[in-house]
Amino acid sequence: MKAKLCALTVVALVIWGLKRHYSDASADDLWWILGPTARLAGIMTGTAFAASPGEGYVSHERLFLIEKSCAGINFMIAAFGMSAFALMHRVGSGVSGASVLGVSLLAGYMAAVLVNAARIAMALWLATHPVGLSIFTAAEIHRLEGIAVYFGGLVLLHELVQWLDCRASVARIGQ
Amino acid sequence: MNRTLSLAVAEAFRRMARPLAWYYAITLAIPIANGAAKAGATFVDHALVVLIFPPVLILIVCATYVTATRRRRT
Repeated sequence: MKAKLCALTVVALVIWGLKRHYSDASADDLWWILGPTARLAGIMTGTAFAASPGEGYVSHERLFLIEKSCAGINFMIAAFGMSAFALMHRVGSGVSGASVLGVSLLAGYMAAVLVNAARIAMALWLATHPVGLSIFTAAEIHRLEGIAVYFGGLVLLHELVQWLDCRASVARIGQ
Repeated sequence: MNRTLSLAVAEAFRRMARPLAWYYAITLAIPIANGAAKAGATFVDHALVVLIFPPVLILIVCATYVTATRRRRT
């Protein structure tokens, strides 16, 4: 119980810290997430993104800027918190608590890079293939696409965490 | 068909409750706590879309899944 409370406190502190870092950081400070996202989005779309100091990562060829608001920190926070809560039942000691937090942080980071790169790839595709729905503007379609990709990403990550957790439990019983 | 769809929707909402809760927490609860609601109509407009679209997506996916399963069986 004490270990769980400690883990929950650390989860809350990490979320607060990430939020704080995100609000104070410039695009250059977010290199640790913008860089891998730009590289992955570049691989997915065959587009070259170059670092643009103070702005983020830019594709001059596609006139597309991956800026601070595209960093996906909020998604990473949600993915981290959700994974940590899903695995919280495994926390029984300091070591298991640290493992759960580490795995959740890694899962949140990797999911954020992957989902964000997918979102950027989709936005680039939509920019060249406008959807013929006259009831929505391009900005509204971009917003709906963002909601669908981020929420879908959280659902997929949750399913993956549950599946891996279940498999690990079965393997432990089998030993 | 309606009962199958209702069951599928109920199961989907049960499974997706945690991701949905975290999605709402990050996109609505935290911004509201930080005073985003002061933006007025702009935020309300954004919040309504964020609130309504994920459940609509779940319904669409369920309806598609139930229809596809039914077609495969017949």
